[in-house]
Amino acid sequence: MKLANWGSLALLSLFPSSCLAHSQHTSNWAVLVSTSRFWFNYRHLANVLSMYRTVKRLGIPDSQIILMLSDDVACNPRNTFPGTVYNNADRAIDLYGDNIEVDYRGYEVTVENFIRLLTDRVPPDTPRSKRLLTDDRSNIFIYMTGHGGNEFLKFQDAEEISAFDIADAFQQMFEKKRYNEMLFMIDTCQANTMYSKFYSPNILATGSSELDQSSYSHHADNDVGVAVIDRYTYFNLEYLETHVKNASSKHTLADLFSSYDPVKIASTPGIRTDLFRRDLSEVLITDFLGNVQSVEVDGDGMILDEDLLALARSAGYNITEQEWKDAMTGGYHEKTQEERDTVVGEQRTWEGPARVHKHPEADFWRNVMSAGAVGVCLLGYWVFSMIDKV
Amino acid sequence: MALRVPVNLRKNLSVVLYAFQGLSIVAVIVGLASLLLLPLDEYSRRTYISENALLPGQVHAYFGGSEQNIVRAFRREVDLLGNSTSDVVAERMAEIFRSAGLKVGKQRYSYKAAGGEYTGENVYAVLHAPRGDATEAIVLCAPWRNIDHLLNEGGVALTLALSRYFKRWSLWSKDIIFLISSDARAGPQAWVDAYHDLHGENIQSLSVKSGAIQGVVVVDYPGAYHRFESLHIIYDGINGQLPNLDLINTAVQISRDQMGLRTDLQEMWNHDDSYRHRLRTMLRGMVNQALGHSTGPHSSFIPYHIDAITLAAHGNGWHDEGSLGRTVESLFRSLNNLLEHFHQSFFFYLLMAPKRFVSIGTYLPSAMLLAVGLTLTAIRLWVDPRSRSGEEKVENAEKSEKSEKDEKAKEDDKKPVEVVAIDSGPKRELFLPMSIVIGVHFCGVIPFAVFNSIDYKSMASVFYIFIATSVILPTLISILITLTASPHRLLPAFHLSRCFSLLFLGMFLSTLATLNFSLSFLIGLFSLPLTFARTTPKSIPLALVNSILLQLTSPFAALFAVAGYWGLGVEDILKEASFGWWVWGMWTPVVVWCVWWPAWVVGRISVDSSFVMAVTGKSS
Repeated sequence: MKLANWGSLALLSLFPSSCLAHSQHTSNWAVLVSTSRFWFNYRHLANVLSMYRTVKRLGIPDSQIILMLSDDVACNPRNTFPGTVYNNADRAIDLYGDNIEVDYRGYEVTVENFIRLLTDRVPPDTPRSKRLLTDDRSNIFIYMTGHGGNEFLKFQDAEEISAFDIADAFQQMFEKKRYNEMLFMIDTCQANTMYSKFYSPNILATGSSELDQSSYSHHADNDVGVAVIDRYTYFNLEYLETHVKNASSKHTLADLFSSYDPVKIASTPGIRTDLFRRDLSEVLITDFLGNVQSVEVDGDGMILDEDLLALARSAGYNITEQEWKDAMTGGYHEKTQEERDTVVGEQRTWEGPARVHKHPEADFWRNVMSAGAVGVCLLGYWVFSMIDKV
Repeated sequence: MALRVPVNLRKNLSVVLYAFQGLSIVAVIVGLASLLLLPLDEYSRRTYISENALLPGQVHAYFGGSEQNIVRAFRREVDLLGNSTSDVVAERMAEIFRSAGLKVGKQRYSYKAAGGEYTGENVYAVLHAPRGDATEAIVLCAPWRNIDHLLNEGGVALTLALSRYFKRWSLWSKDIIFLISSDARAGPQAWVDAYHDLHGENIQSLSVKSGAIQGVVVVDYPGAYHRFESLHIIYDGINGQLPNLDLINTAVQISRDQMGLRTDLQEMWNHDDSYRHRLRTMLRGMVNQALGHSTGPHSSFIPYHIDAITLAAHGNGWHDEGSLGRTVESLFRSLNNLLEHFHQSFFFYLLMAPKRFVSIGTYLPSAMLLAVGLTLTAIRLWVDPRSRSGEEKVENAEKSEKSEKDEKAKEDDKKPVEVVAIDSGPKRELFLPMSIVIGVHFCGVIPFAVFNSIDYKSMASVFYIFIATSVILPTLISILITLTASPHRLLPAFHLSRCFSLLFLGMFLSTLATLNFSLSFLIGLFSLPLTFARTTPKSIPLALVNSILLQLTSPFAALFAVAGYWGLGVEDILKEASFGWWVWGMWTPVVVWCVWWPAWVVGRISVDSSFVMAVTGKSS
């Protein structure tokens, strides 16, 4: 009796069901924030620069990283090694070396700017580098570090952001369809309180320490004379550096979270999953920290000459390059002003390739075959239901 | 019936009087006892670094090795210049600084105090922070001769060597000033005054300056080459002001934890952290604070709100210039880390061990309670019916006086307490007691002016003349008043003059306690007999006892005590006071002569009048 169901299922699976293929995200963004000022908070800058290095290493481009650096320790006169920031006393990696793009620096790192960035309520003249240009297909990794307390995080020694502020900003982002999924990571004292007020869906949060717990620094560099990294960030990095070697890594967030050792971190890291709908063992670390591998082309007025030409040829169209160019650009210049206006209006429609239909009879046969396939399916359905009745 | 108020306070005044007396006695006892409790673990606290920016001992200090040879070379240089005049010394030091590539300035100064002239020439060099903004500076100072007039060979040599060494680092956020002052007392004062353009006419202005000074470290390592045992941290400033506790804690933490160097405070060389040693350390600190004098070159900086300490090498051990140099280097790295002025930790504290202290909130009540004891006594005297000059009440007053606590042992007739209402009786007559108190306080200017203007040579003789005058003067005044005033006004007049004098003293001491706790506490302690020494014409033996007690707790007795404590002559103390007033702006003589001495004279007048009244028969 169930055979009919099985059959229907098998048949259904034959359909190229494009409507189900949309669960994947199409871009990854990172917002990396250090909120502390002053030389003795060197480690917070080193924390955030370490995460910056990691997401860049895993392929997120600078255009999709918003780096907020609250102070310039590299150029602080107290720095024994001017122009550098290290996150380890071995000074193997200069985090401030080349290719650093700081989007918000110094006193630009404020609560207001941070919330404006998240919710995209920015002045019209804001450059793209200072905007979070995400949509409902973007995964966002948000990393924050600084001095915090119960449900607040201090910005610049002058103001604070509360857990409620962040939660509300995230809800706005959700309402404005500004993210697909979000990973929120925070390394401050009493960090876990910061994500306790979140209520928007698809947010995964992790923090370094519980309520009434301090987060500690890992070690100090005795020549720089300050602590260079915090423990939670250090052990996160250790895992990422040793396990997640490149953007195709198959390590999941469950692996990362299970690597946390409260004894080593000297505080109890927290993970909040109730707002997140996927199972952590299926969520790749690179879903947030790495580059997006899959690309979706939506023909956004673009001219994909070679690739598309090759595609057209492989589909059996026998066209020359000149014909292709004519198809793409020809006629465009010959159009009248009114026509051009309409073209501008519907610029996003894909009219070029329509001209390459050289063989109408091929189209006819293709239509016949499609109708035949549908016919076979209907026939199969009818046969199976007859068997069922017998 | 239980709810009925047993005594009507308005009718039965003696209850109020007893209550005030009891309260003032309790206040004094609790005040004294609480001071003795402070060294206990329960009342004192471990020191801690309050300013996050300091990061003490987190850097490697590299001073040593070949640098040590340079120190020894400079030591030889200093040794050769040992007996030269200050301008020769300054010229040679300037040459050395210049050769290290630093900007150099020199400053002549001359002070006149107690008939002597104090001249010298400071020399200093400025190391501009290579990447700093020249708005702030820290000072490394070494006096050519230290506070004991010993040639500061090690300190000066180390400063010269460190000036070359620091020049090689590029991590300074503040300018560093290397100051070699001509002596330890006047030189630093002249320099810091001139740095802030507040110098007198005999002091040269500074040719080179830098930004606001954030911290000062003085190195005191006198004598020929020897290895030392411990670092003596000296921190008392002028007028009992103290540097921020964070600076001391940083120095202690660096020398102890990073360098393994023992630190001592207040010349307590064998501190075993016992109650006795903690108490002694605290009391020595209190004496230094109360005297308000300079204990080293750092003292002059503190009134300018510049936190400063002296690191003095002490004893014979195994530490050498390298250890001291590394300590100073590490300390300077910490000072370099400062972002703003020292402000996090305490400015008012008593240290009782290098790592144990009490803050103002804990110790202030004891001095305040002494002052409150004086004030309560003053209020009691005002409420007391004996302050009224009505003839018919004098008799009653005399009787009620006999029932007072102190006298109980001596008085054999125990008459019942007279019931007197508060608002009954004649008015108080204020003119005579007011003029006594105000007049005597104005007289306080005389000793102050005299001792600050005479020569050192004549100081001792003038002082003894002044003691004789002070002994006779109250008697003379009391004779004068007893003979001129009408008998029924006499007792109330002396009574009220004590009242006003104690009221003023109590108010002054409670204010002073917030500024210079130790001075307030010690004066309060010495003034305790003033609360019970009064006019007792009917009991000459009691008057005699009071008189002797007052003599023993007079400002002169305190002066002799201080002289004995330091092992100096009285004239030396007076010279120091005069020098302190003219050079450092030390206020201790003002407090002693214009507040304490008048209060004591008024007390003496009240007691001496007992004899006069007994002799003239005006007591009844």
